[in-house]
Amino acid sequence: MKVIRRVLLALSVASAVAGVLRFKGKGVGAIKQGGWRKIIDQK
Amino acid sequence: MIGIFGAGIVGTKVAETLAVDLQNQILVHDSNKIVANRLASRLGKKRQVVSVASRFDLNSATIAVLAGPPPHSSLAREFIEKNISVVSVSDDVSDCTNLLALDTLAKNHGVALVVGAASSPGMSGLLARSMSKSFDAVDEVHVALHGTGGPACARQHHRALSGQSVGWHDGEWIRRPGGSGRELCWFPEPVGAYDCYRGELPDPLLIKKAFPELERVTARVSATRRDRVFARLPQLIPPQAEGGMGGLRVEVRGFRDGQRWVEVIGVVERVGQVAGAVSGCVAKILHHGDVKLAGATVLGDSALPNEKILHDVIDSGVQVHAFVRA
Repeated sequence: MKVIRRVLLALSVASAVAGVLRFKGKGVGAIKQGGWRKIIDQK
Repeated sequence: MIGIFGAGIVGTKVAETLAVDLQNQILVHDSNKIVANRLASRLGKKRQVVSVASRFDLNSATIAVLAGPPPHSSLAREFIEKNISVVSVSDDVSDCTNLLALDTLAKNHGVALVVGAASSPGMSGLLARSMSKSFDAVDEVHVALHGTGGPACARQHHRALSGQSVGWHDGEWIRRPGGSGRELCWFPEPVGAYDCYRGELPDPLLIKKAFPELERVTARVSATRRDRVFARLPQLIPPQAEGGMGGLRVEVRGFRDGQRWVEVIGVVERVGQVAGAVSGCVAKILHHGDVKLAGATVLGDSALPNEKILHDVIDSGVQVHAFVRA
């Protein structure tokens, strides 16, 4: 019973940390918004 | 006279690119004579410039485009020793290294050897050079490729995921296992987003040669879970005659007006068509004598007229898209 509780505790802590990183973390220099524009050759 | 060694997907596009506005004769050689005959009869009807040639006949050419599967180094050596300039589409790391080692031989014979004139490497170097002009200083180039050309390209993609990737990182070459380093890369539509991984790709070697000032260069290739799992095994499923719509994404980082700046350019086209268009346009430039080169060089090198080559490639129908911020 004690082992199960510890495993559940470890899993919940890990999920909480992963959740914080997932939603609060931000990529360094990552471009978040925008789109593609076709380049037309202007010779 | 221009000789094309290989009449597959890439060789066909090279011949088509050259036949558009070249009056000189184009010689095509392939180990499969039926394929070479089919290409010559299709293009020869219009302009009467494309003809099938034996391996020996290619020695009469002034430029040889090596559009077959790698390795190209031994073939290139033979052509250079006969004073024939060589354009290679090889995408194999060791083959590209061996080709670059022919620099002195090419200089001694006064001929040009263009290494990695394909999609990635090749087009990636052209785009990096084009983008670098909008920067004050460039220090990072990151390349991602999606898709494959003909069967030889697909086999190379398979090998790349099981090999050792090379990358330039803060002043030293680093080796990492192929298939590692997942990164979600966005290509222009209709390709979209794909997970890309490190692979044994020659781009970092060649781009670093063209841009000695760079501090970081990486190359990644898209792959599915199945590709990564089976990469260490022999290729069990035979590759298709030609891969579907491919994509190339080149990200350049550096400084502009004292600020950190990032530019991204993408290409959407079948990879073999891009490779053929690039090598064909390079051969055309060499043939017209727009640039006098002797020795081994790579696309993106300031010794080449990169902007002219890129214009020609776009003119040949390759779609290039720039990423614009919202």
